[in-house]
Amino acid sequence: MISVANLKKSYGDHTVLDGVSIEIQRGEVVAMIGPSGAGKSTLLRCLNLLERPDSGRITIGDTVVDLPAKIPVRTLETLRKTAGMVFQSFNLFPHLSVLRNVSLAQEYVLGRDAKAAHQRSMELLERVGLADKAGSYPARLSGGQQQRIAIARALAMEPEVMLFDEPTSALDPELGLDVLAVMRELAASGMTMVVVTHEIHFAQDVSDRVVMMADGGIIEQGDPAQVLSSPANPRTQRFLKAVIDR
Amino acid sequence: MIPLDVLGNAIVMTVVITVSSFLIGAILGVPLVLLRTSRFGVVRVLTRALIDVLRGVPPVVWIFILYFGVSSDVIKLDPLTAAIGGLGVISCAYLAEIYRGGLLSVHAGQTEAAQALGFGQVGIFTRIVAPQAFRVCLPSAATYGIGLLKDSSLASTIGVAEIAFRATAQARSGGDGITPFVIAGVLYIALSMPLAYLSRTLDTKLRMKVSV
Repeated sequence: MISVANLKKSYGDHTVLDGVSIEIQRGEVVAMIGPSGAGKSTLLRCLNLLERPDSGRITIGDTVVDLPAKIPVRTLETLRKTAGMVFQSFNLFPHLSVLRNVSLAQEYVLGRDAKAAHQRSMELLERVGLADKAGSYPARLSGGQQQRIAIARALAMEPEVMLFDEPTSALDPELGLDVLAVMRELAASGMTMVVVTHEIHFAQDVSDRVVMMADGGIIEQGDPAQVLSSPANPRTQRFLKAVIDR
Repeated sequence: MIPLDVLGNAIVMTVVITVSSFLIGAILGVPLVLLRTSRFGVVRVLTRALIDVLRGVPPVVWIFILYFGVSSDVIKLDPLTAAIGGLGVISCAYLAEIYRGGLLSVHAGQTEAAQALGFGQVGIFTRIVAPQAFRVCLPSAATYGIGLLKDSSLASTIGVAEIAFRATAQARSGGDGITPFVIAGVLYIALSMPLAYLSRTLDTKLRMKVSV
């Protein structure tokens, strides 16, 4: 489903991604862990080209992006439709009601008619447990509610892959639970997911594979139980100890 | 006293000058702010220089330049057109800067979220960024509009028969020098109040929906 080959990205002298390669199967849930600055978020943001990698190849579904060649607008649009994204800071549109947040891109980007978009939006709001908030504005909602709506908004584009960039990092632990519950349900439904997270429990329980990144590269990956409980790499051991000791 | 129909015409003239020059500014301010925030550094620098020039020249000088300078046998600018044009030129520079402030206030995450949903540049601007920037711009734009209403009195210098022109004429012809100007002052206040009220109501309404 996703194939990344030798992806490189640097800002000036600072190398953020140092030739990263990874294959992700359809329906697989991959948790990406690692210290800040390891390149996890950058890798995720490169997958839908919010960041432009310097070189390498990204394949998502049928869409292939070869860098550093110029990316055609068509390819960019297809790629972003294929991959939905959820941000750490939710980024709901504050000037639109919850319902409009979920339906606007369906109408504007997918060309659905207003009635179909409305119906699909309500289904998705139902799914994330917030159908009763359809008429509210984002500022009136808690962070956890906002993030669930952001998930519904991304799902409304019928993506084949969902990318999560630290979806619960900005939330109180309790509020994060609802978001994690929605993500669990999504994982169980067979969605291909790439989740950058510090939630070790989520990685342990829900993911099919844990990928540990440090210094712009993948240093260890594999079965969650194995990577999280008996990591082979000393860097991973140190990182996990720090996370668990907190 | 000034006959009522003359007074009425003067008020209408003031409103026409203000509204027309504001509209010119509001419309031309859009391309100007797009150039001002262009991806290309050269375009940004040139636009900024242009805005500084447009704003740096006082309104009355712009009006004179258009009326006495540009008007020739070929191009004929009547006083009203010259006044609207002069104030319009300045308005587009000021409003472009007000728009820019509004655009800058919209969080970068908004653009990213829209990109991730597959919006193109046009859609991001018209559906996501501009509506949010609009709310931020509204109070400053209204304040500018009220300033413009007062600046419209400069049209009297080239003989446009608006409120200040009538007041001056009346003061010169009658014995009483102060009454016409007091009346003029009251009229300007009366005209600016609905604008201020409208802006405040709209702002409060939008704020209730959006802010935390």
